[in-house]
Amino acid sequence: MRNETMFGPGKRISVPSRLGDTKSRSTALSLVVSALMVAHPLQAAAQPDDRDELLDRIDQLETRVGELESTAVLSEPETRVRRIEVWVDENGEQYDEEQPGTEPVVTYQRERVYRRQLINDKIESALDDAAANSVEIGVDAAIVFQNAQQRSGPVTIADGNSYQLASTDLFFTAGIAQYTVFFADIVGLSGTPPDDEIMGLNLLNGYTARLVEQNGLNLREAWLMTELLDQRLLLTAGRLDLTAFFDHNAVANDESSQFLSDPLVNNPMLGLSENGAGLAAVYDPKNGFTAKFGYQQSSSSATNLSDSLFYLAEVGNLFNPFGLGEGNYRVWYRKDNSSGVNREAHGVSIDQRVSPLVTLFARYGAAEADTLEDDKFYSAGVQFQDGLIFNPEDSWGIGYTRTELGTKDEESLVEVYYNFNLTERLNLAAHLTHVTEEPAGDEKVSYFVPGLRLQASF
Amino acid sequence: MKSTGKGILLAAIGTAVLTFGSGGLALAQQAVPEGAEIKVPDPTKVVIVVNRDSNDITFMDIATHEIIGSVFLGNNVNPHMAMMSPDGRWVVTGGSSSNSAYIIDVPTLTLVKVIPVDFAPEHLAFSPDGRYYYQGNPSGDSVSVIDMVSQTEIRRIPGFAEPLNITFTPDGSKAYVGNYGAHWVGVIDVTRHELLKKIQVGAVPEISRLDPDRYLGEIKGISNASISNDGRYLYAADGDLSIVSVIDTRDDRVVKTIRVGADPWRAFMSHDGRYAVTINNGDETVSFIDTTTNELVAELDAGPDMTGVNFAAGKAFVISSSTSFLYVYDMDSLTPAGRLKIGNQLALETATTDTADEKLYLASSTDHSVYVIDARTETFEQVTDVGLFPWGTHILDSRDNYCH
Repeated sequence: MRNETMFGPGKRISVPSRLGDTKSRSTALSLVVSALMVAHPLQAAAQPDDRDELLDRIDQLETRVGELESTAVLSEPETRVRRIEVWVDENGEQYDEEQPGTEPVVTYQRERVYRRQLINDKIESALDDAAANSVEIGVDAAIVFQNAQQRSGPVTIADGNSYQLASTDLFFTAGIAQYTVFFADIVGLSGTPPDDEIMGLNLLNGYTARLVEQNGLNLREAWLMTELLDQRLLLTAGRLDLTAFFDHNAVANDESSQFLSDPLVNNPMLGLSENGAGLAAVYDPKNGFTAKFGYQQSSSSATNLSDSLFYLAEVGNLFNPFGLGEGNYRVWYRKDNSSGVNREAHGVSIDQRVSPLVTLFARYGAAEADTLEDDKFYSAGVQFQDGLIFNPEDSWGIGYTRTELGTKDEESLVEVYYNFNLTERLNLAAHLTHVTEEPAGDEKVSYFVPGLRLQASF
Repeated sequence: MKSTGKGILLAAIGTAVLTFGSGGLALAQQAVPEGAEIKVPDPTKVVIVVNRDSNDITFMDIATHEIIGSVFLGNNVNPHMAMMSPDGRWVVTGGSSSNSAYIIDVPTLTLVKVIPVDFAPEHLAFSPDGRYYYQGNPSGDSVSVIDMVSQTEIRRIPGFAEPLNITFTPDGSKAYVGNYGAHWVGVIDVTRHELLKKIQVGAVPEISRLDPDRYLGEIKGISNASISNDGRYLYAADGDLSIVSVIDTRDDRVVKTIRVGADPWRAFMSHDGRYAVTINNGDETVSFIDTTTNELVAELDAGPDMTGVNFAAGKAFVISSSTSFLYVYDMDSLTPAGRLKIGNQLALETATTDTADEKLYLASSTDHSVYVIDARTETFEQVTDVGLFPWGTHILDSRDNYCH
């Protein structure tokens, strides 16, 4: 598209229109033409032969004005610091190329390039730099409301009662050296979970596991993580939660977005009751195979590192059986001395996608106990996403767990949940749990425990 | 370098191809000037490197990895993507800071034409016959049509929303434009150079009303409509919607919507046409779509800041820009196959694959290098000082010529 404008007495010329709206265009063109008239006073009486040259110049200036008006904010070359390798001789003289008697040395030097930056590039770069050098803070807050309806067995205090537990985690993350990160998690909990009144083998609210002190703040985790061997080996040391490293499961591992019941979050045969000092090493060559080793103290009353110490080891692999989709298969082994003697446990955790909509999971674990028979645990279930949901990022699942202790105390639990992903930062989940406690030599007691979980993370 | 008979022959063939159907007008303009030094006798034997900050296009010998020469475009041009014409005669690029398109004569490595286009030209494509070069102007919301015979902008097609990549159908009748500032793919009638249709790839979910900031703050729409080997289907990934929509090119209609990982950048087609692979920077995963069933068949962990996927030696190499890694996947089993560390503190950009599907040529901007990677052995060689801030690479007839 071309516009016509006046140039010189009685002369109409056409110039490309690239200056946006009419007002700014005419203003800019007026400036350009005025500038030309001042710079070339004789142009007002320009001969036709000069016209083409002037038109070309107007074209160039108009393009230039267009660029400046629209995008460019910096007219000077950009500078940045570059990591370079130079050669230095014994006298300290530096060369760009290798010379006899020189050694290669890595150094840093500013370089200048001709790149006109946009203002948003510059702002984004400044914000990235600021973020990279600052401590990142994250929040994960949840409110869980539950109600207990007893279905069978002798009437208990929990029947008909409601419960509400609020949990807030504050995360602090900072990069302190190359491939090295510091992380801390401070948690505060307040409220009443059903687990104080329903004395089950496992917790009905996974958040309860964090409840060390009511209405107080508790340092849940504080560790340093570094990556070695071309970032294949991750070492984490400090106050840890080893369940964050072991017994993973893609669809049954997170009380904040998946199942709420603790046995559908962690395998109880892991035996870890409290976070504590420890170390985790994860070897992950990114080919599907992983190997992990870790130890952690799991008692706040321990007086030395050898006391109440858990050792865990795990190997895992990723398969794509029959082209179904990815499946993660993990086997772990645990040894601990928390009861005064060394005890062992082992388990598996599997998640297998069978279609884009459906992922199956299963866990098994067995642990030595004071009794002749081992404690045993099984769980299985399914998670649905996409297609069978209301909103694109919703998910729902059904899980079943069975816990059988060597003491003959047993528990069966079924949970169904639907997680509404309301926004990127806000989830609302509805849960319905049915649990049956089967104490050894005593009458079974069962409950329906409906619940709601509102969870925000940012 | 001396001129060769083969070079002159190729140049003459290129000229003849362009001249055919357009009269004899172009012949005199497009012939290699007599006596000119032929620096690139065979355009299939070079790797093109786009250097954003030295404002030039470098030509590297594909066999020796030596720099044959560079073509300087001008200060503050900041070229974004370059592509060779199908006959190998020209290289074109858009200067994102100069609002111009550039045409380079390949045999002589000379800049032959600067064409003003719209704001911030970035991605581009040639029509299959090489007659037209479509230049997307994302900040101008337009596509410039450059006639390679007259080497002029013959039309500027308006009406897009941050148009990024352009995909021609194999018969050259239509071109599809990914709009990163919207959730539709534009269909251009190439005979008339007009925007024919807008194909909406998916509806924004109703629940978006609860999260207006997510949808109003910054839009991540469609970067590219990737075409299947037979030209029948397009795979258009939408970042905000986390979907890949399958478009039937016969009637330009969405026939399937496939949910993938969060914030997919675009689909990359495996060379055998079996899979469309998306890199999902939102959740740092890679999704594999079986193109025979149009089903998601695997979604695997990857890394942050992914820029592209290259296929070679039966593997997919996913570039993770900020980590200096290539994540490798076995395309038979669709499982992870390791991670290739290129260096420390690098900014890996994009790569092209040679036509034998054996080597990758990876641009690494902050150390001004191209890394030549043997896909089978996963070893690599660094070619230094290719220019300042190499942003991308290109090989004629490569099936992995893309930009970010």
